[in-house]
Amino acid sequence: MREVFSFRNGRAPRSLFRVFNFLFMVGLVVAMAIPIVKVLSDSVDRSSTYGLTFWPKNFSLVAYQSIFTNHSLFVPLIVSVVTTLGGMLVGLVLTTLGAYVLRKRDLIGRGFFSKFIFITMIFSGGIIPTFLVLKGIGITNTLWAVTLPTALNVFNLVLMRNFFEQVPDSLFESAEMDGASPFTVFWAIVLPLSKAALASIGLFFAVQYWNEFFAYVIYISDTVLYNFQIKLRELVLSDQNLTDPALIGFSNTVKNAAVVVAMLPFFVLYPFVQKYFTAGVTMGAVKE
Amino acid sequence: MTQRPTRNLGRKLYADRMYYLMFLPVMVFALVFSYAPMAGVALAFTKFKSTSVDGPEWIGFDNFENLFVGIKSDLFWGSFANTITLSVANLVLATILSVVIALLLNELVSRKGRSFIQTVIYLPHFMSWVVVASIFTIVLSPSDGFINNLLKGLGAKDSIYFLADEGWWTPVYLFINRWKETGWGTIIYLAALTTISPEQYEAAMVDGAGRFRQMLVITLPALSTTILIVFILNLGKVLNIFESVFVLQNPLVYDTSDVLTTFAYRVGFKDGNYALGTAIDLFKSFIGLILVLSTDAINRKIRGSSVL
Repeated sequence: MREVFSFRNGRAPRSLFRVFNFLFMVGLVVAMAIPIVKVLSDSVDRSSTYGLTFWPKNFSLVAYQSIFTNHSLFVPLIVSVVTTLGGMLVGLVLTTLGAYVLRKRDLIGRGFFSKFIFITMIFSGGIIPTFLVLKGIGITNTLWAVTLPTALNVFNLVLMRNFFEQVPDSLFESAEMDGASPFTVFWAIVLPLSKAALASIGLFFAVQYWNEFFAYVIYISDTVLYNFQIKLRELVLSDQNLTDPALIGFSNTVKNAAVVVAMLPFFVLYPFVQKYFTAGVTMGAVKE
Repeated sequence: MTQRPTRNLGRKLYADRMYYLMFLPVMVFALVFSYAPMAGVALAFTKFKSTSVDGPEWIGFDNFENLFVGIKSDLFWGSFANTITLSVANLVLATILSVVIALLLNELVSRKGRSFIQTVIYLPHFMSWVVVASIFTIVLSPSDGFINNLLKGLGAKDSIYFLADEGWWTPVYLFINRWKETGWGTIIYLAALTTISPEQYEAAMVDGAGRFRQMLVITLPALSTTILIVFILNLGKVLNIFESVFVLQNPLVYDTSDVLTTFAYRVGFKDGNYALGTAIDLFKSFIGLILVLSTDAINRKIRGSSVL
């Protein structure tokens, strides 16, 4: 039946729609790709002007070399790596501990604990009071200020709790009967079973800390503690940081290369981790 | 008899002591980094600057008076209007573009092609706003930027300084925003599309509807609830736009680009007027809360359940 009717319905309009759709998709991909491809190409091109090419005219890796050898660019890169790893670790510790406790349904005060942390998702004191609190406890102008305040992420905690809830209760019960303490169960049973969740939520945190920018603008005035995002912005907005004589004359190449380095970790990881990210989003959406 | 429940409660609390200990770090983080700053909003009713020698001095609603009708009112209402214009325009565009792209992606026959396109359009979501702003600052640059080179190739005489031109800034801002987030925005619609039963399409085919017609009469209506929910959820957050504006604006375009959050930042940190900056932020949070509660009420009417 279907075949007959689809045939009668006529091929022309359908294939017209398909052709249009195909062209639309090609246009979409091109529009998305042009800026990225252009920056990639120009980052390995030592020409003084770039024009409209999408392929390097004077191929050279000198800009990348300078990022990894020039002190003023390399130190921010190290800061980015350190805060990303450190922040991810603190974030995962808080997320797993909180999720594990909130998983226990018969815990007295569980409802209060849930509300207590959910409120932080809805209300916030704003940037100035937060700054004054951090200043009060003496961590402004240290890397603690750019890692600790964002380490408790309620959205990630909910995702983690949903994941822990899939661990069968019988596992907990048998372990508890064997006399294992809650922490032992957490450490020796729940965490090893949650590698996939740890990986994906760890990645959420990694993206968050690698991309962190504004916390540095407010809390950090010591330029030695700037991360690569801050340095990239300085670099793109002015040439003043390129005092190294080896860099003079191709600051544009360095700018392009810095953009690439700033997005590189996720360019490399992205194809492998995309499914975790989309799973996280739809899981959150369903919960909403 | 009255003793037993209490004793059981005590015993239960004691038995679970390790759980409470494990939750302690979470509580401490929430208290220090969320609740303590919340208490700090009281600053909005004081006089307190970065240069103040003494502590905050109570002045009641003077800061708000300054903002609403006083010396700061032009800047304040200007940034308020910009906030609404930019984020509502962005939200409307986001909804239309993400829905259209999700619908068209859904019509693609090739699974490989589909997942390739999804990979490409999701990618910018993971770039920081600094990276995206840097890419477009370079591409849109008046000196040797790709777009200006292209325009010159097509016969334009002068370069356009897109990000420093009041007329261009808003459309360029919206474009960059959509470039970054439209692809990611399709995910939720694509997920909703998978729940439509194939029987509906079969029935439509029997009635002689082509793919395009099926899209209009089956797929789009099936998405309408999701579209509405996503739209009103985001409507509650329209005042929060910040980082995207912060990294793309510059003093030449403050008149059209300044939003409440960037205005609060400059008043608080550049001018050092902590109290006034907090007042702007508090106003923003207050209106934001009203928006969230009212959109949630609408949502409850539609779906019969609350999101809060």
